[in-house]
Amino acid sequence: MSNNEYDVVIVGAGCAGPAAAKKAAELGLKVILFEKSQVPGEKNVSGTCLNGAALVDPDLHYLMEGPVEREIREMRTYHINKDRTTVFHEIPSEGLLLLSIRRDHYDAWHVEEAKKAGAEVRLSTTILDIIEEDGYVKGVVTDTGEKFYGKVVIDAAGVNSIVGRKAGLIPKRKGTNMILYVTVCVELGEEVINERFGDCIEYYLSPGIQHKTWPWIFPKKDTVTLGTGGYMDENLLNDEFPNINKYMENYLNLPAVKKKLEGGKIVAWGLHLEYDEKIKQRVKNGLILTGEAGGFVIPFLGEGMVEAYFTGIYAAQAAANAIETNDFSKEKLAETYETLISENLFMQTFRHIAAVNKEAILTKTDEEITQMMQQVIMGGGFISNAVHTNWMNGVEDQDMERIQDAYDFLELMKPYAQVDPYFENLYNERKRK
Amino acid sequence: MKFEIKVEYYPGDTGEFIKVIEENCTGCGDCAKFCTRDVWQPDGAIYRPVNLKDCVECGACWNVCEFDAVIFNEPKGGTGVRFEYG
Repeated sequence: MSNNEYDVVIVGAGCAGPAAAKKAAELGLKVILFEKSQVPGEKNVSGTCLNGAALVDPDLHYLMEGPVEREIREMRTYHINKDRTTVFHEIPSEGLLLLSIRRDHYDAWHVEEAKKAGAEVRLSTTILDIIEEDGYVKGVVTDTGEKFYGKVVIDAAGVNSIVGRKAGLIPKRKGTNMILYVTVCVELGEEVINERFGDCIEYYLSPGIQHKTWPWIFPKKDTVTLGTGGYMDENLLNDEFPNINKYMENYLNLPAVKKKLEGGKIVAWGLHLEYDEKIKQRVKNGLILTGEAGGFVIPFLGEGMVEAYFTGIYAAQAAANAIETNDFSKEKLAETYETLISENLFMQTFRHIAAVNKEAILTKTDEEITQMMQQVIMGGGFISNAVHTNWMNGVEDQDMERIQDAYDFLELMKPYAQVDPYFENLYNERKRK
Repeated sequence: MKFEIKVEYYPGDTGEFIKVIEENCTGCGDCAKFCTRDVWQPDGAIYRPVNLKDCVECGACWNVCEFDAVIFNEPKGGTGVRFEYG
């Protein structure tokens, strides 16, 4: 192999990219990973809590060794309207639920892990084009015109990835499958956060602070991140909400939120898009789309990072199998990739939960949604809503198939009802001292 | 708390990574409507990405443009928006 020839070329060092690079290097492949920012994670917005229900998968155990800001064990939801404020305090399972992280620190650590495994890394390098020959994606072109060739190219460059777009796999999207999110990071100091938030994430539901999403506050070590937004449909922006920031302004001005943030200052503002449906085609000859580039994100549930880690790792495995047989066709790549995805219990179950809940949310008014959320929360969260919706609709329509679906799903979910204390024990063994 | 848009940028020239294809632009203004940073401004009958230095690279303009009038590339390596804290 010459200098610019690799087994695997990976674009994007967010979540999926370093995971793919590390795995591919461990499988003995010659790997290069490109990242456009100076520090990995500094082009990323949100994506701040790692889900324990996914980290218990052996493929992801190593991620518990990364820099964690705060261990999350509880969840509070505020349902606020002009007459009253209702607070639901949930401890969905006894023990650790989520790990709160800072993407700039965490992604940078992850890239170092990929390097240790043997991957070559180029930071501050933007990929602007792909090289296609004889119907196969053969490599990428950097912003300085340099060409890099790979037997397999793994696209991990996010929601608007230029690789996936050039390959014709990522279309334009808006309406009810694209969400525009705005975030702010508020510095409060570690002691104040311990006092006001502790190890609890918070969600707020109130008219005028969101458009069919679920505004959140995630505590980190000495800052908290607030996020809100909405589906990019014709009702997102209007005279009352000329700009997405208006939702955030209203959110920050909710008396309950104001009080929680008293004395704090905004240290960062961010904005990003999230696409929440599967990309129709996630492989092409010589190319695999992972993470958000492949539509592996469930913005409604705030779930995207772990799907990216999984798909990055699976893409590396698919690349290794392709290289072993010298067959880089989309059929060969899909064989491994799609099989591993379909066998992943976490991804299948969470996608089901998201689909059922999204259907409910998109067909209701904001007022009805807050009411529904109240029931959802009292009923034990989105999981039970997904089960109940199918079950109740099935009963109503006398549709035994929907009832059976609900029952099967409940069975499928059983392992996740008992994530703890397994996750907590694993984390205590592996976390940095 | 006073709402504030605090955004950091890497030093260095990003290059013209967002452009309008003049002959495709109908002046509908969707790019400007969905742009949170007022990058897109009217210029006669069309819109142009005038304030590109304020862009945070979200891609909303490219996604919403129904007339394929937006070219949305990437800033040069190591330049453009820098999100600290994640």
